[in-house]
Amino acid sequence: MRYARRAVAVLALTVLATTTACSVEKAGDGNGGTDAAAQCGSGKDFLIGMSQANNAEPYRQVMNDDITNAAKDVPGFKVVVSDAAQDNSKQVADVENFISQGINLLIISPNEAKPLTAVVKKAYDQGIPVIVLDRKVEGDAYTAFIGGDNVAIGKAAGEYYAKTLLPQGGKVVEISGLPGSTPAAERAQGFREGIAGNPKIEIVATQTAEWLREKGQSVMDAMLKAHPDIDAVYSHNDPMAEGAYLAAKAAGKESAIKFTGIDALPVPSGGIKAVEQGRLQATFQYPTGGREAIDMAKKILVDCQKDVPKTTTLGTTQITKENAAQVYTELGGKQ
Amino acid sequence: MNPPNPTAVEEAPAETPPPRRPSLRLPRDRHALVDNFFRFQSLFGLVAVFLIAIAVSPVRNGENIFLSSGNLANIVRAVSEIGIIAVGMTFVILIGGIDLSVGAVLGLAAVGSATLMVDSGLGILPTVLIVLLIGTAFGATQGAIVARIGIQSFIVTLAGLQAARGIARMWSGGLGIPIAYGDGPQEAPEAFSLLSGSINGVLPVPAVLFIAIGIGALLLLRTTAFARHVYAIGGNEKAARLSGVPVRRVRIAVFAISGLLAALAGIIHAGQLNQGSPNDGSGYELDAIAAVVIGGTSLAGGSGSMGGTIAGALLLGILNNILALNNIDANVQLVVKGLVIVAAAALQKLRPRIS
Repeated sequence: MRYARRAVAVLALTVLATTTACSVEKAGDGNGGTDAAAQCGSGKDFLIGMSQANNAEPYRQVMNDDITNAAKDVPGFKVVVSDAAQDNSKQVADVENFISQGINLLIISPNEAKPLTAVVKKAYDQGIPVIVLDRKVEGDAYTAFIGGDNVAIGKAAGEYYAKTLLPQGGKVVEISGLPGSTPAAERAQGFREGIAGNPKIEIVATQTAEWLREKGQSVMDAMLKAHPDIDAVYSHNDPMAEGAYLAAKAAGKESAIKFTGIDALPVPSGGIKAVEQGRLQATFQYPTGGREAIDMAKKILVDCQKDVPKTTTLGTTQITKENAAQVYTELGGKQ
Repeated sequence: MNPPNPTAVEEAPAETPPPRRPSLRLPRDRHALVDNFFRFQSLFGLVAVFLIAIAVSPVRNGENIFLSSGNLANIVRAVSEIGIIAVGMTFVILIGGIDLSVGAVLGLAAVGSATLMVDSGLGILPTVLIVLLIGTAFGATQGAIVARIGIQSFIVTLAGLQAARGIARMWSGGLGIPIAYGDGPQEAPEAFSLLSGSINGVLPVPAVLFIAIGIGALLLLRTTAFARHVYAIGGNEKAARLSGVPVRRVRIAVFAISGLLAALAGIIHAGQLNQGSPNDGSGYELDAIAAVVIGGTSLAGGSGSMGGTIAGALLLGILNNILALNNIDANVQLVVKGLVIVAAAALQKLRPRIS
């Protein structure tokens, strides 16, 4: 059986030889290039590339819709959306294709920070203005970052519990997002800051449902057995809150317990509709930043504004039954 | 007149539906022509897609964007990982097997590269050697289970996929491990970042590796006794065994090669993205299988070529690129890719059998 081993050995050697024997130059020695923003002005056509991390998430689909809808109102703006389907390599290739096409501005919501940093820098170094949405890249080789503030959102939810939902205090269970993810940690931290003003509110249990509706249901099942006297459920997103509601309904307790979520997507399956229809007491908007990105693109490309803010932190909107229908329409939700 | 009339068959135009007869008898020269067309089907397909891409490419400032050297380099770089995996996959499919674990092994290797350099402080050579060894051992183990216990490779490598992802998640703690470069602790040697660089600023390193490995494998599959045994097992395993082919060992070697190349692709992946994440490479096995199928290798085993696979991978890359350059909707792109795969497989069915 020598030759089979030899076959593996030959391939292994090819691999090693080619890895070690080449003289190589490093990528991305940005030479500054022509400044795309220098060709700004009104009455011109601009191609904007939107590199999305994953169209399959409703939040990101809404972000794309916000961007394309907002761009329709700006004469001369054309937006192209690419979908990396959660694959960092695909997103790098997407951005490279945008650069080849000669886009005038890049909007990117990166799948992960580290792997996308180099290609974002490559675009930026070629003079393409780059607006980073929702998730950051490393370093400062981009024009502007626009994103929500999860601590502030958690805090707003906590204050709503302390003052409006449970002013007399009560037992709260927390259904949290994916362990280790930044939004989950920040939404938990902010909530604790928010309820600090009302010491009679007690978090009796925290369980993760990994952002998923079906896990929200099974986690709530278990918590109802352990804590039959729950007053409210603080969920880190709307789908998990909906799942928890279903579990409570199966136990006949849905009217005794109050549910709140976060995200408030203006889609038929989103949290705003759930509030309007009375399943959730409240939800807190996690903004996509899509409209704000196009506003900023207009400032850079059409108005020739040189100094846009490097970081824009978006606020949140509290959605209760009173304003649900109105906010849904304002955010451009599909009826 | 006696049926069947050979002249009637000869005059059948090429566009007619697949021949129902088991053998299509043509005069020698014509036969050779048709046979050569199908043999190099993927190469013709590649050339055709290349020409179409030039024709439909957007033009900016008088320059054909598709043909710009930067864009062509991007295409080959973007397919290099899939291409390297597909080279290994070709061996496996030629013996009538399948390897679903390659994407997960890529993720495991990417995590391994990042962890060994950043956390364990190893140099590049030991890291590369250990990671390649892990991939090879993983593949060989799967091959041994297939060969010794006789479980179908689909099942074994499906299990392998799960296991490799699990190991990668345990090893990394579930999160991507960023690779920072430098001489300090928690930093990887600067030279590793050359994997994301280009030779003379033109040829991307991963592309060069892919082409080199592709050519190496092509020569291996043309000239060695090992290659003849691979084809023999895929064609008729029993006959191969009876004629003295060491079937089990060849099987194990083939899966070991696939694991080795998946691990190499994982090292490249980590170098390109400056990170090793346990979720990297999800679904890559399917892209690799698509490249092999477009390359004209039969999933039944026994027939196919390495040149076809290389052409198939490049064809997929050009397709992805030209669809993106023309701003075709991402969902439509998926449908187009599906149609191309089916068309390539259908074309194989038209291929006349040599009697």
